[in-house]
Amino acid sequence: MNMPLSPLIHLIDDDDAVRTSLALLIGTVGLRVQTWQDPQAFLAEFDRQSIGVIVLDVRMPGISGLTVLDLLKAQGVDQPVVMLTGHGNVDLCRRAFKSGATEFLEKPVNDELLLETLQNGVRQHVQSRQRIQVDRQTRARYAQLSEREREVLGLIVTGLTNKEMGRVLSVSPRTVETHRANLFDKLEAESLAQLIRQYAALVDEQATP
Amino acid sequence: MHAALKRHGLWVIAWGLLSLLGAALLARHALQQEREAFETHARIAHRLLSQQVVQHDAVLATLALLDSNDDSAHPEQRLPSVYPHILSVQRRARDASWPDAHLQALDAQSRQLGHGLLVSTGFAQGRFDLILGALPASYLLKIDIRSMVPWREWPMEPAQSPVRVALLYQGQAFDLQAGRKLLPDAPGWHFDFHKVLASPSQPFEMVAQRHVGWGELPWLWMLAWSVLAAALLRMAWVLVRQRDDRHRAEELLRLGQVARLNTLGELAAGMAHELNQPLTAVLANTQAASRLLDDDPPDMDAVRQAMAQAAGQSRRAAEVVGRLRRLVEQPATIQTMHSISLSEAARRALYLMEPELKRQQVEVSLKASDLPCRVLADEVALDQIIHNLLMNAVQAMHTTPKEKRRLTVAVEPTLTQVHLLVQDQGPGIPAETLNRIFEPFFTTREGGLGLGLSLSETLAMAMGGTLSAKNRMPHGAEFCLTLPLAEPIVASS
Repeated sequence: MNMPLSPLIHLIDDDDAVRTSLALLIGTVGLRVQTWQDPQAFLAEFDRQSIGVIVLDVRMPGISGLTVLDLLKAQGVDQPVVMLTGHGNVDLCRRAFKSGATEFLEKPVNDELLLETLQNGVRQHVQSRQRIQVDRQTRARYAQLSEREREVLGLIVTGLTNKEMGRVLSVSPRTVETHRANLFDKLEAESLAQLIRQYAALVDEQATP
Repeated sequence: MHAALKRHGLWVIAWGLLSLLGAALLARHALQQEREAFETHARIAHRLLSQQVVQHDAVLATLALLDSNDDSAHPEQRLPSVYPHILSVQRRARDASWPDAHLQALDAQSRQLGHGLLVSTGFAQGRFDLILGALPASYLLKIDIRSMVPWREWPMEPAQSPVRVALLYQGQAFDLQAGRKLLPDAPGWHFDFHKVLASPSQPFEMVAQRHVGWGELPWLWMLAWSVLAAALLRMAWVLVRQRDDRHRAEELLRLGQVARLNTLGELAAGMAHELNQPLTAVLANTQAASRLLDDDPPDMDAVRQAMAQAAGQSRRAAEVVGRLRRLVEQPATIQTMHSISLSEAARRALYLMEPELKRQQVEVSLKASDLPCRVLADEVALDQIIHNLLMNAVQAMHTTPKEKRRLTVAVEPTLTQVHLLVQDQGPGIPAETLNRIFEPFFTTREGGLGLGLSLSETLAMAMGGTLSAKNRMPHGAEFCLTLPLAEPIVASS
């Protein structure tokens, strides 16, 4: 999984002047901007892996910003979407939020509000991507465990000592100790606390499929 | 024709039903009247005939009673000259006997029964004999049936009446009145009357018959009714259509208003979008430029570019506004200026507003100068200004208690111009808005467009006049329309 170095803002607006001026403004805080005049081209080509935020104009010829929003959400795109509109009304706003928009801003938009919204969006996206990655690693390591090691892990999470585990599993405490060392190794856990914090949820999930 | 029938089918069916129903009722009524007349006539005829035959009994009884036993006197022979239907009288003296045995037998039988008896001869020819056996002498009357009928009292016209009247006796019939000849099973209605005459000696059955054919129904009346029904339905149709038309006109008017509001909304939305795009660009460019200037060292080329773009977008916004103005501008055109009496114009505007003023329970007083306050003005524009001022005044008094709602309109000339003052008793104009009320789109009313006063002022200025507003003490507002006089008043006093 390759993470881009700096976040990328996708800006979709059919108006040249609006596009270039907003791109310039966003560029002043060091965010990279990719502008799109045609929503269809954007849908076909944009980098879905990139970290960043999508800024969508509501009123565009051919395909409305709300339709683009619906398509993005249907495709499982996880970038936060900020809607921009010239004449926002309550209905439009409600509709956008219902469709999964993160923010709804009115044109002409105040620079601080826009930039703050974008930065928040980027932060949010980075966090959600990290969560996904951590989750994926955790699962991969957990998959390497043997059946017995998983049983031992389940008992560790419930807080039993080696002796108690030996009694439950009808093996000697020494054998338990071996399994325990192996699973610490496989799960790359450095402390009992870290092991429990990272894997307790997964154990519960496995115990109750 | 087919299309017309389709379109007016229901009306045609209604007309047909109405015509049929009316015709049926008329026919029934006519038949009932015919039947009643027939029965009345038949009863009268029966009574008259009964009276006649009873008279025969009386004559015979009188003769028998008064018989003088004097065979030579024969007063009875004078009877036929008094009663034309008594053709002759025969007398059998005490010891004599009737020439034939049949008569003799009837004589004896009559004497036994105590009333006269019929001698059945020639009934079909309109004759009959009546015998009364008595002591000392018996009498026999020969009677002519046709002459017996009291034609002068007869209820019908014997020659023309369609009613057949006949007397029946022992299977023989004699027609007193022929009536209309008809086939035995002619279509139509048949009335019958049968009754035996009220005399034991002459039990003739009187028969009256009347046939009413289809031709005798009141066709003219039925036709007239049908025409009347058509006329009535036509009237109803016109009324219904008028009502529909009015309904539709009201609906169209309402739709027109809605459409106008929609157009305004659409215009505003379009304007918002058209202006928002350049404004967004201007704002973004200037804000970006100011952020770039904070950098150290600032990228001056980028700043310049941003500012140039901002300027360009400002021009674009200005163009949008210009385009919009050219699009919606209806220059307050003053068509033609006439010399118009301002007092008359005020009176006319008040007259037009009367329903609204009544509804709002506003008391109106008009103080018009006696001087001829004629101004050079466009009539439509002037009417519109006065109407706007009056409407404003009425609306300003919405919250005023009803008994205090008073609207004063005054026309006051000076030497060179005329003031039209419109004063209300409303809350007045707040000081902070007093100098803004003539601005376009400025309004204090919910849902108001804020164009009325602005337009009025534009129109007033186009006619060389002015429109001003001030507050009155202790409350209320006063609007003053000032227009130059068409002909300056010569100072007379």
